[in-house]
Amino acid sequence: MSKRNAILTAAIRLSSPNGFKESQSYSKSNITKNLNFEMPSKVLLVDDEKEFVQTLSERLQMRDMGTAVVYGGKSALELIGNDTPEIMIIDLKMPVIDGIELLKQVKQTQPEIEIIVLTGHGSEQDKKTCMDLGAFAYMQKPVDINLLSDSLKNAYMKIKAVD
Amino acid sequence: MKRLKKFKPAFWDHRDIAGKHPKTSFNFRRKWKLLVLFTSFMALLPLFVMTLVDFSLTRRVIEDEVKNSMSKILNAAVSSISFSTDLKKSALDYIAHSDPGEDNDIFVVNKDGTLLTTSFYYGKSGTPNAVNTKLFKEMAGIEKDVALNKKPVITGYARIKESSLILVLTKCEEELTDLWLKPRLKLVGYLAVSIMLILLSIMGTSTYLVRRIHSADRKRSEALHHAEYAKKLASIGRLASGVAHEINNPLAIINQKTGLIIDLLTMKKKLSSVERIVPLANDVLDTVKRCGTITRRLLDFARHMEPSIESVDIKEVIGQVLAFLEKEAERRRITISVDIKDTIPNFDCDKGSLQQIFLNLIENAFAAMEDGGLLTISINFKTKEELIITVSDNGSGISNEDIDKIFEPFYSSKNDHWGTGLGLSITYGLVKEINGDIMVKSRVGKGTRFTITLPLKNVEEINDKK
Repeated sequence: MSKRNAILTAAIRLSSPNGFKESQSYSKSNITKNLNFEMPSKVLLVDDEKEFVQTLSERLQMRDMGTAVVYGGKSALELIGNDTPEIMIIDLKMPVIDGIELLKQVKQTQPEIEIIVLTGHGSEQDKKTCMDLGAFAYMQKPVDINLLSDSLKNAYMKIKAVD
Repeated sequence: MKRLKKFKPAFWDHRDIAGKHPKTSFNFRRKWKLLVLFTSFMALLPLFVMTLVDFSLTRRVIEDEVKNSMSKILNAAVSSISFSTDLKKSALDYIAHSDPGEDNDIFVVNKDGTLLTTSFYYGKSGTPNAVNTKLFKEMAGIEKDVALNKKPVITGYARIKESSLILVLTKCEEELTDLWLKPRLKLVGYLAVSIMLILLSIMGTSTYLVRRIHSADRKRSEALHHAEYAKKLASIGRLASGVAHEINNPLAIINQKTGLIIDLLTMKKKLSSVERIVPLANDVLDTVKRCGTITRRLLDFARHMEPSIESVDIKEVIGQVLAFLEKEAERRRITISVDIKDTIPNFDCDKGSLQQIFLNLIENAFAAMEDGGLLTISINFKTKEELIITVSDNGSGISNEDIDKIFEPFYSSKNDHWGTGLGLSITYGLVKEINGDIMVKSRVGKGTRFTITLPLKNVEEINDKK
């Protein structure tokens, strides 16, 4: 991790509301203890909109999924090198490394990771580009949580089917 | 060839790109050829005809002369052959007894000028000193004289050999000139008609030309107007999509936060604590506020689409424009440095035009820069009545060939950025509209600097408190 990024991450940690941290490991809500084999246990959320991604992460955890959060393409690439997620949810417009670039790189190095694009600024062109690059799904913000979890479930089923 | 190029008019190679259809485009070269051909034809035609007439006349005169000299020789021969006193006698008889008329006044005088036969112009036979014989210096000749009735006449005389008698032939001058009148009238008439034709054709072509230029000009300004409107619409479109993106993000936050509240209330076995839900609800309220800011900003922009003069705060204008572009700047790591003198007062200007100008210039700078560039905006006093505003970037710069043309409409050096090549020409137009001036300096690879001077009109007194 570069020095600049370390400072950035530190800053994020300091400024995070509710003491929420950019989690470097996949955590699960302790509300439901029973294991749910239909749900993915390693979902990585990548979005520079912190409040959004933290809340979404919490809600996915409440739905029996294991999630981790990063705020940029660079940290996402670093994380998946160490601990490969099953599914990634990524935003398109991000500083430094944007969603399309991230999608390209991940699909090149680890094509087994399924990627769901979740963006607030989606044109048909963007959608086509993402699908061509091998995204599992393309969804518009604001998204309905049920639709998103259905999509996650489907992606997970696809992975299981391959296995 | 190089020398010829100097004389080539500017429109020669000008291609009208305003009208994309060949019907509406204005082919200057073809029009010029047509005009030159037409005027040359109209002006040269009478010249050719006149030359032809003159040629035929001269030919006729020469022919006549040849004929005359031939007949003279012939006559001389005949007269020398049939020379006899009879002939002489009958000639004298003819002169003596012929009735002198206006056309043919032939008579004989002695050396004192006394009439020996009756003359139409000079009087009856026997009138003494009727003709001034001092005029008759040669053996024979033609002189101008005045007749008894004061009419100018032309008198031909010939001294009869071996006598003191003079044979005189008189004709009225007017009668002679009458012979010239007809062809002269014809010529003058012809000249008049030619002049009229030439004048008419020149007037016609000039009118045609000016009318064409006028209509071309009007079409051009219409095209520019349309293009300007299209550009405005395009920039609204871009703003709208930018705003949609910006608004979608807070909406997504609201969506998730309220969703989480519902989740907490429904999914938790025990009743969820107030301290967990209240901050979430507060977050939602904050995010709604954020949406409000964005919509207000857009509304403010939309309000200034129609030109209206009002008191503007230039700092505020720059801030509003930058607010639209800050997301892109953040994404592309472009540093924006703004240096505005605090003492700059509010002044009267068209706020919409100012926003448009800065939006265009900054968008332009963004397009020219790589990620991580530096954009500098500074505003200072040039004089007490003028502001100097510079927008400079450290982007790719503009080449020397391009720099003269960048304010021309439809000129675009970026191959296809926004496509129209109109941004800077519209910016130029807007600056001129608010009585400002815009200049550009650029170095390839180093960056570009736009300098705008703006007049400070109706300056508001600055509040000392500020």
